[in-house]
Amino acid sequence: MIQTILDALSFGGLYGLAALGIGLVFGVMRLVNFAHGELIAIGAYLLVITVPSLGLLAGIAIAVVGTALLALLMELGVFKRLRSAGPAVLLVASFGVSVFLQRLYEVIFGALPISAQVAPWMNGVIDIGGTTVTRGSIVTIILAMVLLVGMWFFIDRTTLGLQIRAASSDFQTARLLGVRSNRVIGAAFVFSGILAAAVAFVVVTQRGSVDPLFGVNITILALVGTVIGGLGSLQGAALGGFLVGSTISLLNAFLGNYRVYTYTWLFILVIIVLIVRPGGIVASRGTKERV
Amino acid sequence: MSIPNTSASSALRSSAVPGVTRFRWPELAGPVVVVVALTYLVSSLGASSSFLVQGTLVTLVMVLALQVFIGNSGVLSFGQAAFAMVGGFASGLATAPVTIKENVLSDLWGPLKTLSMGLWPSLLLAVVVGMIVAFISGLFLMRLNGLSAGIATFALLMVADNVFFNWRKIGPGPQVLPQVPKFQFVDEALALAVIALVVVYFMGISRRGRLLRATREDGLAARALGTSVWRLRVLFFTVSGGVAALSGAMYSHHAGAVSARDFYLGFTFTTLAMLVIGGVASVWGAVVGTLVVAAIGEVLLRFEQGVEIGNVLIYLPNGARGVAIAAALVVMLIWRQRGLTGGREFSFPRFGRWANRL
Repeated sequence: MIQTILDALSFGGLYGLAALGIGLVFGVMRLVNFAHGELIAIGAYLLVITVPSLGLLAGIAIAVVGTALLALLMELGVFKRLRSAGPAVLLVASFGVSVFLQRLYEVIFGALPISAQVAPWMNGVIDIGGTTVTRGSIVTIILAMVLLVGMWFFIDRTTLGLQIRAASSDFQTARLLGVRSNRVIGAAFVFSGILAAAVAFVVVTQRGSVDPLFGVNITILALVGTVIGGLGSLQGAALGGFLVGSTISLLNAFLGNYRVYTYTWLFILVIIVLIVRPGGIVASRGTKERV
Repeated sequence: MSIPNTSASSALRSSAVPGVTRFRWPELAGPVVVVVALTYLVSSLGASSSFLVQGTLVTLVMVLALQVFIGNSGVLSFGQAAFAMVGGFASGLATAPVTIKENVLSDLWGPLKTLSMGLWPSLLLAVVVGMIVAFISGLFLMRLNGLSAGIATFALLMVADNVFFNWRKIGPGPQVLPQVPKFQFVDEALALAVIALVVVYFMGISRRGRLLRATREDGLAARALGTSVWRLRVLFFTVSGGVAALSGAMYSHHAGAVSARDFYLGFTFTTLAMLVIGGVASVWGAVVGTLVVAAIGEVLLRFEQGVEIGNVLIYLPNGARGVAIAAALVVMLIWRQRGLTGGREFSFPRFGRWANRL
């Protein structure tokens, strides 16, 4: 039972991080970034390749920097050239980038999974009040909490964070008031990359291997979380991701033999939430339709 | 996700609003002639080309299904592949030999096991079933706007995939449904594609089509005129579901087999990308996007196998094809943000204007 709750919390935290990464970029430029999954994948590839030879800390540093660089490269190479495009075009472009990177990983790293033990001690168990729980779930919860608090501090207390919030709620007005749009968008991409690296670390320690489609599943679910949480609201994105992750974990635990239908129930719940609250659970003023 | 008012900069020029307003015969005849001519031209090259053309026609019908809803309503939908899935299974299960179903799909629901009909009636069945499913889901989903609607339709696709992949009473589950009778000639797929083109074009220029586009351009103004956005969207979602189901049914008769994962994310995004690359707002855009993306894929495939130019054999390294297709897609989007056609319908090149420039 404790393990079930911890699993739900750690899954929720993990998906909350992924959703926040997507929500950051969505907030400032209305881009639903499917290629976020490939940021998670490159983070995992860098971890798996560097950790065995360079050690954990150096590997994590390389993964964080590499992922953030790729995120920035995406923005400069593709999305910066699509500033005036509509959301449908942006979305399809991000899907194109996503497929492009998947195929590129396939050429560079091969289609087969690469496995390595990144942090084997995370798979061990510890004893809490007579029940054993996995270390991984505790570490994930702590990591998610630290990063979420860190992001909150950055967004709520720094000038750049203030600019990101301003751009999220009304991009045009923020620009008129002197917010440098390219800098803000670039910063959002960099932070989204850093969050992707954190997600990559957690997932790769659990799975122990990485393949070109590594980040697809979690990105899709986190995207859904971003939308049901409330578009344009960063707390909403994190909350929505958390809800999706913990719901999956709980459904898996309670459906028993019917757990193959987890996604059916999850997505039916998603549709119900959207119909009841179309603007998301935390609806922000910026995204509400006027009519 | 609603596509914003693309014509804001030129609001006074009504001709700049993407989409058709009244029947102009070249707009319909142009795409039909292009599709028919290319079909016969390419399929005369050999059996493998003929198969390729048939597959492209199946995809074209799907892109048209997306166009009639997304193009006219401005709401992005990822859910149409779910209706293609429904249509593909309806038509496939209705036509696959009963003995095959008995042997391969032992868990199948009794009436579905004994169901047996010809290829053409099964296509009709697929369209009807697809429209019913689209209508019922549309009643709920079309209450939503913008990105919420997009994600809700995406949720529909995930539910459809999860149910069809696991529930063996209504389909093959994770298996492949084999031995679905195939189309004999390329003409059959061609005829169906032309029918879809005509239906989609006339839906677009109909009174309701124009009203729906009015809601796309300015929802507030359209509602002030007494338009029910919800009803119009449900109507077009249903029609789009029927056309998508036709595409799914055609797919099962093209490939001779059908499985749930044929209509999953890859299929959804390929067809959506074709539509966006061609230009969302026009039927001609759907045709151009489908043909261009299919052609790029085919040319790169040839290069991967090796092409001899002069005395030099040029070939792409393994895997480069996928990278190049995706790169071409992104580059085309950056180059032409409103699609290759810019959302305009087919029209004859105006030689007069060119002459003036000289």
